[in-house]
Amino acid sequence: MITLLKYEIYRRWKWLVLRYAALIIIGAILLNRASFPAYQYEFIGESIGKFALTSLVIFIIIIVEGINVLKEDLFEECGYLTFTIPKKGRTILASKLVLLLLQLSFWAIISIGFGSIFFSKLPYHEIVQIKTQINFYFFPTVLFLLTAFFNFVLMIHFSLTLTKTLLVNKKYSGLLSIGIFFFLVYLIEKVYYGPFLNQIKHISIEIGSRSNIDLLSGGYTAVFLNVILIAIFFTATSYLLENKINI
Amino acid sequence: MEQILKATQLSKYFYQKKALDKVDINIEKGKIYGVLGPNGGGKSTFLKIAAGLLKPSQGEITIDNKNPGVYTKSIVSYLPETNYLYKWMKVKDALNFFKDLYADFDTERARESLKFMELEEEEKVTSLSKGMMGRLKLTLALSRKAKLYLLDEPLNGIDPISREKIITSILDSYNEKTSILICSHLIYYIEKLLDYVFFLSEGRIILAGDAEDLRNKRGMSIDKLFQEVF
Repeated sequence: MITLLKYEIYRRWKWLVLRYAALIIIGAILLNRASFPAYQYEFIGESIGKFALTSLVIFIIIIVEGINVLKEDLFEECGYLTFTIPKKGRTILASKLVLLLLQLSFWAIISIGFGSIFFSKLPYHEIVQIKTQINFYFFPTVLFLLTAFFNFVLMIHFSLTLTKTLLVNKKYSGLLSIGIFFFLVYLIEKVYYGPFLNQIKHISIEIGSRSNIDLLSGGYTAVFLNVILIAIFFTATSYLLENKINI
Repeated sequence: MEQILKATQLSKYFYQKKALDKVDINIEKGKIYGVLGPNGGGKSTFLKIAAGLLKPSQGEITIDNKNPGVYTKSIVSYLPETNYLYKWMKVKDALNFFKDLYADFDTERARESLKFMELEEEEKVTSLSKGMMGRLKLTLALSRKAKLYLLDEPLNGIDPISREKIITSILDSYNEKTSILICSHLIYYIEKLLDYVFFLSEGRIILAGDAEDLRNKRGMSIDKLFQEVF
């Protein structure tokens, strides 16, 4: 898997460097502006907003690339190379997910790093005010976000792979993938999460969060359910990649 | 003679279209086979199934007694017609990729082949002409010490000088332990390589036999026979 991961990084290293360099440079420029003593409080809010927006754009790029990393192999000619190497489907898929995890980690480190510095530059009374407002439990929230993220990406990977199993023609594959994805979303919400929704809500309020951002924090039940889904989608996608797809 | 590939009643449908229709093909070790036919006859589909890129709709195919999968991919070297190399690659990157991912890749053989094919390791694959790309793909495919080589239209779009180099390379790679299966509609150039031929049209085998026997029985070259049949 490490070898495949190496080539996944080779394949897009210029873009990887570019996006993180852009985030760091923009963060540094905004921080420099906000750190100027005469304008510190005047620009801090604006700088935080601009940095958050930049960070969001990079995050969206990471998600799109996390999807494209498999889509390219399934629908473009390079698939002939990827799917004739003697590697198991799970190894191929895992290398792509590890790359995504690495990207996400870099993004989180840079974003949280700059965010903390911006935060420390706020006036003291505002820091205190924000701290009292945002009082959520860290681990359930982070685990929930992480598992929800990978669950979402793997659902798309599964939809794309299932499409490539059912259809060889590229013409309608986009439509079919989207159809499969929304069907899965519906099915999971109604059938899978359905019996647990009350419990998740309760736990998210009691354990996951006590603040106005409790929607982001699903609690451990949601994390557990997400992990099961991740395992199901990973296994199913790997199986299809190895045994059923038509390139 | 020991078989390396056995296809029994192999069919592949794309919706209503039959790309392959109950095809039986046996490939023995140490021989060079030609799957010959017009475009759209099912040649590439057969090779893609053998390479593990397509799944058969019906019938069975085994390579070294195993269904196409991770093991067969480790002993089969497949040359697709398409430009499948990653666009970011230089020639040396492609070599390294094969070295890292195929245990049977012979780097020395690949370097010698690159020299013979007049290719530079520092060249980007996107800057290669069609002939050069064909030569590079063949270098990569034939530098593996595979048990079975599947070559899909290795001469398509290739200039006459490159064609000669490619044919020489194929002959150099051949030995008694390996089998080569070449799909092509450019029979004239590959005829001298072939021990056995299958004529494939509209997904069906319409003629098969030992190349020398066919020449003797029909009193004409395989190329002429191809023109007569199609």
